[in-house]
Amino acid sequence: MKYLIHAVLITACFSSISANVFSQTDSIAKPDSVLLKQIEKQLGSSQPVPQPVQVRTAPSTLPDISVIGDFQASYKNYVKRNLDAGINEAELSLQSVVDPYARADFFFTVGKDPVTGKFNFDLEEGYLTTLSLPAHLQLKVGKFRSALGRINPVHPHALPFISLPNAYSNYFGEGINDEGASVSWLIPNSLFYQELVVQFTDGPIDNPSFSRSVGNTYFELAHLKNFFDLSANATLELGFSGMTGSNFFNLRTNIAAMDLTYKWKPVQFNTYQSFTWQSEVYFSNANISKENIVNSFGMYSFINFQFSKRMFFTGMYSFSNKPYSASTRENSYSATIGWYATEFQKIEIEGKTTSSNMEKEQNQILLRWIFVIGTHGAHQY
Amino acid sequence: MRLKIVLILIAFIATTAAYATKINVVTTTADLKSITEFIGKDKVDVSSIATGYQNPHFVDPKPSYIIKLSKADMFVTVGLDLETGWSPQLLSSSRNPNIQKGSNGYVDASVGVGLLQVPSVINRGEGDIHIYGNPHYWLDPVNGKQIAKNICDGLEKISPENKTFFEENLKAFDTKIDQKLKEWSIKMAPYKGVKIIAYHNEWCYFEQRFGLVIVDFMEPKPGIPPTPSQLVKIISEVKSNTIKVIISSPYFTTSSSDVVSKQTGAKTIVLGTSVGAFDNIKDYFDLFDYNIDKLIQGFN
Repeated sequence: MKYLIHAVLITACFSSISANVFSQTDSIAKPDSVLLKQIEKQLGSSQPVPQPVQVRTAPSTLPDISVIGDFQASYKNYVKRNLDAGINEAELSLQSVVDPYARADFFFTVGKDPVTGKFNFDLEEGYLTTLSLPAHLQLKVGKFRSALGRINPVHPHALPFISLPNAYSNYFGEGINDEGASVSWLIPNSLFYQELVVQFTDGPIDNPSFSRSVGNTYFELAHLKNFFDLSANATLELGFSGMTGSNFFNLRTNIAAMDLTYKWKPVQFNTYQSFTWQSEVYFSNANISKENIVNSFGMYSFINFQFSKRMFFTGMYSFSNKPYSASTRENSYSATIGWYATEFQKIEIEGKTTSSNMEKEQNQILLRWIFVIGTHGAHQY
Repeated sequence: MRLKIVLILIAFIATTAAYATKINVVTTTADLKSITEFIGKDKVDVSSIATGYQNPHFVDPKPSYIIKLSKADMFVTVGLDLETGWSPQLLSSSRNPNIQKGSNGYVDASVGVGLLQVPSVINRGEGDIHIYGNPHYWLDPVNGKQIAKNICDGLEKISPENKTFFEENLKAFDTKIDQKLKEWSIKMAPYKGVKIIAYHNEWCYFEQRFGLVIVDFMEPKPGIPPTPSQLVKIISEVKSNTIKVIISSPYFTTSSSDVVSKQTGAKTIVLGTSVGAFDNIKDYFDLFDYNIDKLIQGFN
């Protein structure tokens, strides 16, 4: 906790930097009378200067379409094939407003099976979101990434690191992403932004903590997001999540999570400098038999610092137990350097080491090249 | 004492009621805010998402903006995909059907504006090009009249009972633009045909209106930071054309144009691209007053 307070104080120092404002008095040129007459004559005419033509690109009802490529190369000291490279995933997105009442978003992926090397086509997300429900409500139905914390709702290509934090992957694998309904309510709070999301879904497939539901049991999740503008340049987000669902033992696992994100981005020079400090903690309560309950814990914390228009650094620490083993203790550290050519292309290189009281130390070096063609919607703040 | 409390309560209720009857407008930029305030006067309460010293292409879609949008009666956008990276997401999240595209409360300020640099072929290899044309059209004050008309039309849809009031204000706005345009044109007339360098391709409407000639840009392609080879090219162009001024915007660093200045003696002038860019740019008219005076100072 002491370290968290220190980090908050350090980052708060950045927020005190304010936008530069300049002012200067000017001289005014005095025109002569001939010139004045000439100008007045010109201004009197209906077309003082040649007018541009009103031309618009032909309208289209096609949705926004994009393809994102994710090329990865890696060296891992803990697998048989140490060096590997190839297309990790390609994502096709189709996004559009359906009618005045709803919008639809579809994300298809072609991902490589790490064992067979074959590519499989899958629906990563496909959902409808209402735009006009009363009382500041919004309904989402379909297949979507759950509103758990800060990492889960974001597609991996948009994260500032390559390897997911150990705490996150130990509890949620590649993420909770399944079918059902989600209701979000913008709480009428005039002091700060508050949003409550409640989701009922079938439960994820191949997840370390949860299983696909059987019978009338569902995966239930609630997330409360609190967002504060600390200054024009700095924001703080505090979120609380609670979820419950069936587990591998056909019993229930309950997880409580908290996320805290501080962002500093000078409004005037927001494309040149930024700083983010993001942390999440997970408390798991897994019933593995009527007598045995495993209470375990995981957390990660990272800083992301943009030190020029194109260069980013991310440093991360993660500690984690495992959902069914509170005695497992994993510590991992990673550092990522990212070079963002434009909004449409970035290259990242990452070094990561994981030590555990159960396994040999694992070290890896990863390289990722993300590129997008077409029109891809903005990601969450 | 009781009487005092009752009076205070009455005053509070009266103030709240007056405030509540105002049309709540959210604009994407400070220029649209300024024009909306001119047309709506005391009938509107306007807030802008982007500040005047911020790059309008890259505004972070903070959730706090969603609160503003959720309560808005009207939303005014520059359009032409200037805000495509942030405003669609905010609108979708606002849960406010009154301001969604196609609704009465959605005003695209670009409607009816004659556009420049409309690409015939769209290729990202050209950098950050805008598929509908250059979206920085508010930097021609004559386009301000069309923006004001679009805003006036939007306000009339929301509050038809105030139609005459808005139209009178629109007339006053147009008259003031005409008067000021005369003044600005007189000031700029001696500099017609003067060659300059710009950092980013956002001045074409201003350039055309006041007869300047932008020879090249510090960015080799829109959105791509200046490269050493581009700086060499710019230095040669500045020298061969005897260019005195490089114009930039408050949200770009001047480090690369400073290099050119050092090599050539050309001055880097930071102009305002929006209302609020500098302390003394308080409304849409100040924006041109400031920029024109700054340019003349640079030319001399």
